[in-house]
This record gives sequence, structure tokens and C-alpha cells, in this order.
Amino acid sequence: MATDLRISNISKIYPGCIANDNVSLQFKSGKIYALLGENGAGKSTLVKILSGVISPDNGEVFLNEKNLKLSSPLDAKKNKIGMVFQHFNLFETLSVFENLSIDATEDNKSLRVRINEILKKYNFSIDLDVPVLNLSAGQKQKVEIIRCLLRNPKVLIMDEPTSVLTEQETEELFISLKKFCDEGILIIYITHKLKEVLSLCDEVAVMRKGKVVSVSQTQNERVETLANKMVGQKLAKIKKKINISKNKDEIFKVKHLNFYSDDPFETNLVNLNFSVKKGECLGIAGISGNGQNELFQILSGEIITPDASIIFRNKEIAKLNPKQRREYLMAFSPEDRISQAAVPELKIYENVALNNFKSSNFFEKGLVNEKKIKEHSKKILSDFSVNTDNVELKSQFLSGGNLQKLILGRELITAPELLICYNPTWGLDVGAINYIHETLIKINDQEKSTILISTDTEELLKLSDRIAVIYKGKLSKIMPSEEVTPEKLGVLMGGGSID
Amino acid sequence: MSLDISFIGILIGSIMASSVPLILAASGELITERSGVLNLGVEGMMIIGAISGFALMVITDNLFIAIVGSMLSGVIISIIFGFLTQSLLTNHVATGLALTIFGIGLSAMLGKNFVGIPGKEFPILFSSLRESIPFFGPILFGHSIVLYFAFALPFLTNYFLKKTKLGLVVRAVGDSPVSASNQGINVILVRYCCILYGGAMCGLAGAYLSLIYTPQWIENMTAGRGWIALALVVFATWSPIKVLIGALIFGGITILQLHMQAIGFRIPVQFLSALPYLMTIIVLVVISRDSRKIKLNTPTSLGRIFYKEK
Repeated sequence: MATDLRISNISKIYPGCIANDNVSLQFKSGKIYALLGENGAGKSTLVKILSGVISPDNGEVFLNEKNLKLSSPLDAKKNKIGMVFQHFNLFETLSVFENLSIDATEDNKSLRVRINEILKKYNFSIDLDVPVLNLSAGQKQKVEIIRCLLRNPKVLIMDEPTSVLTEQETEELFISLKKFCDEGILIIYITHKLKEVLSLCDEVAVMRKGKVVSVSQTQNERVETLANKMVGQKLAKIKKKINISKNKDEIFKVKHLNFYSDDPFETNLVNLNFSVKKGECLGIAGISGNGQNELFQILSGEIITPDASIIFRNKEIAKLNPKQRREYLMAFSPEDRISQAAVPELKIYENVALNNFKSSNFFEKGLVNEKKIKEHSKKILSDFSVNTDNVELKSQFLSGGNLQKLILGRELITAPELLICYNPTWGLDVGAINYIHETLIKINDQEKSTILISTDTEELLKLSDRIAVIYKGKLSKIMPSEEVTPEKLGVLMGGGSID
Repeated sequence: MSLDISFIGILIGSIMASSVPLILAASGELITERSGVLNLGVEGMMIIGAISGFALMVITDNLFIAIVGSMLSGVIISIIFGFLTQSLLTNHVATGLALTIFGIGLSAMLGKNFVGIPGKEFPILFSSLRESIPFFGPILFGHSIVLYFAFALPFLTNYFLKKTKLGLVVRAVGDSPVSASNQGINVILVRYCCILYGGAMCGLAGAYLSLIYTPQWIENMTAGRGWIALALVVFATWSPIKVLIGALIFGGITILQLHMQAIGFRIPVQFLSALPYLMTIIVLVVISRDSRKIKLNTPTSLGRIFYKEK
């Protein structure tokens, strides 16, 4: 039976922000629909409304002309609307089977039979009796999908599903989604990745600032046209010129780096060796959870590994803490902007003061020199085009992009010789990503070095001079980036081997 | 020799009796914590249970009403905690501490007129078997029904958490309330239920003290047992069976060191008095070393405030 989902005049207003402004859309089964937009465009609000997590201030949802009252996730489930969230809604400490059985109405035996049927039908291989925390992101997503499929959904909503997947896993996902579509499930695919829209979806609705700005057939669109609709302005293309730096000095060298952890949430690192030359960007690719966190923490000195050798500017720094490493002109930009890089409750200028202890005169005789810090912060805000000039603003009110610019600005204002960043553009919109990429390229142009740990293949290929892949705590060989293709990276990231 | 053996039997029986309030309170708190709620008001809820049980016994002269009433009083006082933390989103730690202070104060006020009144004898089961079987008699028989319930409770709790659907829901809420809510589970309701259940068990633990263990009302008679119960839950890494082991070790060493003091061992009394605390923690830490298991058993959202998006 055909499914017809209609959204009519949905509005949702948060204090200071209109998340959805009179959104009306129509979907029919047999097609895959894309909902495209930058971060903060209102996509997530809309799908939260469709899945009953939040209720709209105005507007209605119709499924096959029946007006749905979606006041809780249960209502969405009852009406056969399935949803796979961007941040998985799984219980990490429970087993896969427990996760799936929690809202099932049947007994465990017949549930297991049905799950195995689904596993077989779609070629998923997942051990049902291990805790979810042992699964890879791709497997976790499959668990979420199975959870939806168990309820025979009419509508399946996928919120940014590929942000945590490898190329191969993404391909597998697309094959499954096409299968679901052929079976008559209506699929709504939320993303900000333009290529995915073009390769997977039949129709695309673009959202900007809470409004639907365009609905069109994907066959009539190209990457550029969609990008311009999404951002509302033309984007400059940036391209890095590869640094031919064969004869340059090695500024940073890591030898025999091993790390062993008792914590099941952490990954062990096995014998990592690499070096970075002056003015070079070394990219480290990998799916999250393969040791990037641990590697970043070791490089920044949050975890001290006394047995390893880390040479920076001809000095052994393995035993130094982050503050001391900063004094040797290293700088760090962690993945988690809100809890690791900045203190959200502190004001902008206070956050700026946090790591510039030695090189500045922010503190005199144990007292804070507020005036100096504020001047300095103002300079960062304007130099790095942060969208505010109010240094008294609490950092938590900055958007992700602006916060990242502030953090980079804070790190770079000391003119470091080496910047280590981990997923610097994670979750940012196209405009902010562009700006940050330009900044990182500029650093290399000034003969400073960077280590870029990232899960975004495209970003790595764009910015790195050499690339290595980390998989289960082991580093692949380091390749010049002109020899690397996304396919090669994908194979390595998934644990395969090339050549 | 036979005298020695029967003495050991009696000793074990008294150790079991002394660990009952710990087992009850810790099992109740364990369920509360497994749902992600950290209620530090155990001591307060126990002392309220103790006074209300004793007062009801004096007023109605009915032990059944006294026991049920003590559990209800535990429930009522835990409703305050539930309302504050779940509906008004106050901080769990501060609210729990306030509850303990409130409970101790309120019980002292209510108990003023009950000081010095003798308690009533609580019926014990199988008292004839206790005398007739050497060694095992005093261990297995001649206890109150509450003791038998207390010793079954950790196993029931374990079964509930591991095998039943509701237990799964409680663990899921403790792991990730946001996910649970998005799955259509009423997180607030589940947490309320767990809080109230914890209150009932703490009330019963208090009543065991004032009606059965030392049948009288003494101000502040829980004497820190609520805090021990809280520590047991944490050091037993939220495993009900380990809570039972911990409670027995604590009760055992408490009784043994009293005997050692009486015999006149040349060990400072202060050290002997500290021994139960030390040993319980050491043993539980040693048997719960497996960091993987700790991770799987620990309620990830413990003590964190959950509010539903609107």
C-alpha cells in the first residue's frame, strides 16, 4: 500500500530562534527524499517533530490523509514512523538483543527469530549478545535500523546517517536504503552532504534558516546549485597546493608509541611511528573510536607515556604536560569543543586567558589583568571573524562554528610551530568549514606544521600533504596525498589492506 | 567441642541479624541508583522508618501495621525527594543530603514521647527447630520473617534486573535517559517508581532496627548504617549479590571485633572499631576489580538531571 506523508505549516519557535517557520512538505512512498540544509537550518527540529520527541507550536502532520497527533515518541512508533537519530539512541551497556527487546511486545524467542530473519535478509552480521559499546559505529547504526524494521515501518527517517561511517559502510547503507525503498518504505534522508543527495535521493528539499527554500528533482541539480541554495550565497573554492618538502627538517617525531588501557571504552595504541616536517600537514584518517582520542591525548600531553619518544624541535617532550608543551610552541584543538577546548560557562575572554599563561602578561602577581585579556580577545574575535565582538558573552552561546574559530584563534595567536587538531570542522556548516580550512592552509603556507586527525576523508584529502590511516590503534604506512584516493582510504579505514 | 560449634552457629546467626538493615537499604538504593538516581537520603529514610514503625506499634499494638506503616513512611519521605529531583530538577546530591538531615531532625522530634517505652516481642519463625538442631539451627531458624525476606531480596533483585522486562527498562533508563525517552519510555515515571521502592526498603530497614533488632526507640538509632548501605552499593559495583556479601562482611566483622574487644585483645579499640569499614571496602574493591564489568554495571547517567525536550 502506498504511503503518503504530508507536513503542513509546521512552526517551532525557541527563545531567540525560529527553528521551523511554516514548513510544508509532501512525501510519497517509492522514493527517497533528501532534506538538505546547513547546521541550524531546522532539519533536526523537523525530524524531532515527526518522531514525536518535541511537539510543534503550530501545524499538522498527515499520514495517508489521517491527521497524526504526535505528542510522544510512542505515537510516532504506533503510526509506523521509524527514526534513526544522528546520535544513536542506544543503551551502551546493554546487549544488542536487550536493546532490541526493550520495546518489543512479543516474547524473546519469537523476537530472536524475527531479528535473525532481518539479519539474513539484509546481510547484516551482528552478534546479538555483546554489549553495544563493543560495536563499531556502522554496526550500531544497523542495530538502530533493525529496531525500526522490527516494527514494519511505513516511514523511515535517517538523520545524518553517514557522519560516522566509512565509505564502504556508506555504500552498504545506501544499498539497504534502496532495498527498503523498493519494499515500499518511504525514506526521508537528512544530510548536509551534497554528494550523497545526488547519488542516493530522488527528490530534494533544501532548508535554510527554518524555511524550505526549494523542492526539486535531484536529476536537475548539481553540487554547485545545491550548495548555493543551501548557503544562500556563492562559495569560493579552495584548493591546497601540495607542499614539496622533501628536504625540509623534521620538526616533530614520534617513535615507538605504545599505549595500553584497561578501560573497555578506550583503544590500545600499538607501536606508532611518524614524523612531521616543517610546513607540512600530516593527516591521520580513521573511523572514530580507532584510537584517535588516545592519540590526541598523548600528543597533547593529557596522557603521559613515559616509554615513548616524542621529539619536538630537537627536544624530548614525552614527559611534559600540556602546559609545558604549549610553552615549546605546540598548540591543540581537541574534538570536543564544548567540554575539552573551552569551558562553556565562562565568558569568551576568560576562555582566551585559560591557556595563554606564560607567553602573555595576563596575570600579574597572581592577579588577573582583565583589561589586557579583553584587548587580546577582541583582537582574536576580529582576526578570526567570530560573529560577535562582545568578549563578555558566555562561550556556550557561540555557535559551533564561531566557537571553533575562537579556539583556533586562541591557539594560533601565540604563533605555534605545530598545531594538532582533531576533527576541527566536525558538525560545522559549509561556511565555517571553508573558513577553517583556509586558516589551516594558511598555517602551512607560513611554514608552520599541522597534524590533522579527522574522520572526514574529503577534508583530509583537501588539506594533507601526507596521510596515514589509524585502524584499531595501528597506523598504516604514511602515503603522499596525491597517491591517495577516497577508495583507498576507505579500504584502510575498514581494516583492509591495499597494494 | 560441641559447645564451640553451637557457639559459632549462634555467632553466625547474630551476624546475619545485624546485616539485615544493610541488605534491605542497600538493595533498595541499588534499584534507585540503577535507574540513574543518586539518593543520598538513605540514612534519613531509614530513621523515619524506624520511628514511624515504633510509634505505630505503640499506638496500634499491631506489628503488621507497624511494618507496613514504616514502609509507607519511607515511601512518603522519598516522594519529597522524587518531586524535587524529578519534577523540579534539583541536584540529586544536595537534595539527598537535605533529606537525611530532615529525616534525622524529624525523627528526633516525633520520637520525643517514645523514648524509654519498651518494645514488643517480634514473632520468630521455627523457634523449636532452632533449639533442636546443633550449629545449623541458630543459623537457619528462629529468625523474624523480615530476615528471611532480606536474604532473599538480593537474589530477587538480581533476577528482576537481569531477567525481567521491567528490570531491563530500569537499566535502560539508568544507562541513557534520553535514549529511553526517545524510545517512548516514561523516564520520569520509572525513576519515581525506583525512588519510591528505595524509600520503602529503607523504611523497612529502619523498622527492623526499632521493632526487631533492638526493640525500642533511641534517637539517631540508625547510627550511620544508611551511609554504609550507600557505600556498599558503590563498592559492590551495583551488583545485588556483592551487596549481600559486603553486608555480611560488615556485619560479621562488627560482631567479631566486639567479641575481640570483650576478650581483651591487645589491639587498640579504635583500630578494631574501624576494622569493619576497612575490611568491607577492601574486600569489595578486590572482588569487583574487573574494569569491564564495572563499566557494564555502572548506571551511566547516575546523579544526572534529566529533563524532557518540549
